[in-house]
Amino acid sequence: MSERRLQMQLGIGACLASAFLIFAAIPNWVAAPSNIKNILLSPMFWPYVLAGCTGVVGLGLIAAGYRTAEGPSEDFVDAHDEGMGAWVRMIGMALIMVGTMALMPRLGMVWTSMLCFALTAFLVKTRHPVAAVICAVVLPLVLYAFFAHVAGVAIPQGNFVRLP
Amino acid sequence: MNFKSILAAGTMVAGLTATAAFAEYPERPINMVIPYGAGGATDISARSIAEPLGNAVGKPLVMANVTGAGGATGSVTVQNAEPDGYRMLFARVGSHSVSPAMKATLPYTLDDFRFVTVYEINPVACAVNPSSGIENMDDLIAKVKEGGVTYSSSGVGSLLHLAGAMVLREFGVENPLEAATHIPLKGGGAAATAVLNGTATFICTNSSALASFVSNDQLDPILVTTAEPVPGFDAPTAADLDKPALHQLVGWTGIAGPDGLPDDVAAKWGEWMAEATADEGFLEKMTARGSVIRLMDPEEANEFIETQYNTFRELVDELGMRVEG
Amino acid sequence: MSFIDSLMAGLSLVANLESFLALAGGVAIGVFGGAIPGMSATMAVALTLPFTFAMQPITGILLLLGVYKGGIFGGCIPAILIKTPGTPASSATILDGYPMAEKGEAGRALGMALWASCTADVISNLALIVFAGWLASFALSFGPPEFFTLILFSLTIIAGVSGDSLLRGALSAILGLLLATVGLDLIYGTNRFTFGDPNMMGGLNFIAVLIGLFAIPEVLAMVWHPTAHLGKARSLGNNWVSFDDYKKSFRSIVRGSLIGVFLGSIPGIGAAPSAFLSYSEARRKSKNKPNFGKGEVEGVAASEAGNNGVAGATLIPLLALGVPGDVITAIIIGAFMIHGLQPGPMMFVLNVDLIYGLFIGLIVSSICLFFVGSVAIKGFKYVADVPKRLLIPGVLVLCVYGVYAVNNNIFDVGVMFAMGWVGYAMMRWRIPAAPFLIAFILGPLLEDNFRQAMLMSGSDWKVFFRGPITWFFWTVTAITIFAIVRMGVNAAREGRNQPEKES
Repeated sequence: MSERRLQMQLGIGACLASAFLIFAAIPNWVAAPSNIKNILLSPMFWPYVLAGCTGVVGLGLIAAGYRTAEGPSEDFVDAHDEGMGAWVRMIGMALIMVGTMALMPRLGMVWTSMLCFALTAFLVKTRHPVAAVICAVVLPLVLYAFFAHVAGVAIPQGNFVRLP
Repeated sequence: MNFKSILAAGTMVAGLTATAAFAEYPERPINMVIPYGAGGATDISARSIAEPLGNAVGKPLVMANVTGAGGATGSVTVQNAEPDGYRMLFARVGSHSVSPAMKATLPYTLDDFRFVTVYEINPVACAVNPSSGIENMDDLIAKVKEGGVTYSSSGVGSLLHLAGAMVLREFGVENPLEAATHIPLKGGGAAATAVLNGTATFICTNSSALASFVSNDQLDPILVTTAEPVPGFDAPTAADLDKPALHQLVGWTGIAGPDGLPDDVAAKWGEWMAEATADEGFLEKMTARGSVIRLMDPEEANEFIETQYNTFRELVDELGMRVEG
Repeated sequence: MSFIDSLMAGLSLVANLESFLALAGGVAIGVFGGAIPGMSATMAVALTLPFTFAMQPITGILLLLGVYKGGIFGGCIPAILIKTPGTPASSATILDGYPMAEKGEAGRALGMALWASCTADVISNLALIVFAGWLASFALSFGPPEFFTLILFSLTIIAGVSGDSLLRGALSAILGLLLATVGLDLIYGTNRFTFGDPNMMGGLNFIAVLIGLFAIPEVLAMVWHPTAHLGKARSLGNNWVSFDDYKKSFRSIVRGSLIGVFLGSIPGIGAAPSAFLSYSEARRKSKNKPNFGKGEVEGVAASEAGNNGVAGATLIPLLALGVPGDVITAIIIGAFMIHGLQPGPMMFVLNVDLIYGLFIGLIVSSICLFFVGSVAIKGFKYVADVPKRLLIPGVLVLCVYGVYAVNNNIFDVGVMFAMGWVGYAMMRWRIPAAPFLIAFILGPLLEDNFRQAMLMSGSDWKVFFRGPITWFFWTVTAITIFAIVRMGVNAAREGRNQPEKES
């Protein structure tokens, strides 16, 4: 992605976000009492100011984008492109996160995070599969022992196997 | 809606289905949710009773602060919990009588909880900055009539918010919302500081939150709402000033479970609390902080909270303080 | 009682083995607690509190102060090693600390963090001892209007941590400000972007946002390209900070400490803004300006000095006024009260021996911090040698536990994950994360203080220009903005003349 395209994309994105905030989000999702005497004290005032600022910065980014010459730029993330593989892995990670959230109240934090560790380690193709499995089992247990018994945190336990 | 009848019906249904299963209660550690942050009145009270209570229960109590939205976030986690007695709440005046009375948007009502006890009462005191020239309630009311008086609170729907309005109202200010400005701050400490540095004119809050400022002569107490004087507070009581309605204005801490908590669990809590509140060390610690330890059984607690809620609700409706939207 | 008498009385209180053990133990607990993300200094102090009930007042309080100071330092260890700030205060340390670790200079960064922390600690303690009375009265003159102007000025820090594009920095900051509006409105208690969810009503948890923004994008970047790190030196090696480094960064350290003392003595600001302000000042004044953000040891020094400079100074309002400056000091006040002590002006009269005992203990605590910190670094340094593809899942699990522990709420773990994707998108579009974070901290303060000031004055604008403090901050804000605009215009002009030499 060139510097110019980047600035333009961000600028357009910011302008759209600003319009969305001003016309849809703030009127719908910010509640204000009807009897406010001073508009500056309204709960909506500050969000509107911010939405306006977003628009201004967006326009600024577009303007800056126009003035930036087109040309290749060094890019630290995009430099490497694995194509499909990378996207599949990203979706996999998203699924791991969603799964973690869904399972945590049912399985409990310890068992869920064991799965989470193992899946993530294999997703990034670790070179130490045995160590990964051992860590996946040991680390959540150690963390549980520490947080639950030393720090006194109520770590969520599932409905199935409860740890002491 | 009759609070008690629903509660009774709910407990009966739950009681029928659950009694057998809980013969052994408690068989594992009990999670106790504290809906306010570390260092606050609720937290200190909860952690002080944790030790004697844990001894009485015989199983560990796991304390968990779940803060946010004036106690609502933590209360909701208990509201939605299984009514099996393994997740209980330290309910507080702010989260369970002022907020329900003031906030239409609150995600729970009093009917969603079953109180097993109220064990601590905190007198409320009002104080002003010594340099303000206000020496008693009459001075304050005179100042209010002049205009420009403000009072600080720890947020919308907190005891402090309501207390300021209620005290002014009782002392004859027709429309306290118009006559005095409410300045919400983040937390009780900040609210007291606001009076200290002159941002607000007065504050009404738990006497324990003001004790150190009063003993250091940084704040002047002008009223305590209890019938008996509060040690260390050289101020007239509400009884002295003939305002008995203000006796309702006190802080309290209690323990509640989700609605539908079985009767035998509630009964167990009654026994445990009787044992825990008799603990010497606990009593000493709490009284030193200005709290009054008064153990109520479930019925008494429910009635106490309901009466306070109704008083507050009446005031809120009368003044149009209810938060909609 | 004369000064010498007071000093001797204080000395007789603390000159025993018990006090020193409490201090050293406290510092050790703090460093360890601070080094675990999500555990944070606050929780470490809260957990230690019950153990102090049975102790002598001075011993108990010294233990808590040790935990506090240790915790603030300990936060830098994961910040440098795994890009996960252990405490909010150490998030500025990431900016240069993590790049240094990536370059294989973790040891140097950690060493510098320790030296800077200890120096700042000493300066902060001295400020407490010498200026407590004076600074305390100063702190009380900060009402909402003064806070508003101070925070407005602090927001100009954003320009200093925006990296190569000021506009993208501004965009990042506005995003942070917008996200901070989620929750119940302060004045009216109405919902803002909560969608009726009780978990959102309390606002997004700060630590969840913080960890999501810094640590999770690293996980995602690793998922995107699992072998990117190969060939990079990451081990701690034998590198250690040199005295020369320290000498070169000394001005920044002292400046950071003073910023910390100033912000710490005013209740309600906290250590994180101080660290960022110190960092951006150091960057502005430094000869190595272009190297900031890419692994500059002076940046680590400045931010660590900024946050540890706060630690002693927050005791100024605590001891002199009885006003807690942040959550940690609020808990420590609880410890005073349990022992029947009422912090405030009278304490300097009634318990003067205790006050001097505390002062002596604080000085000793800086020395304790140095030794305990050195040991801790040696212990934690092995983290840098863990294969990265095992470390990353470990960081993920650690963050899940830590973020949950902050508020005992699974919802916060979800916030962390979601913020991780936001943070990753920002990384891809090269939007710097630091302005987001600063804005997220300062935004609500700015809005709240603005509205409180309007309330207290009855909507009178003139309240924002009351007294010299507001005028001072208006002036420095104007000067800073002018300088930023001029810099921006110059950069744009240069940019047009010789394109593509930015990043």
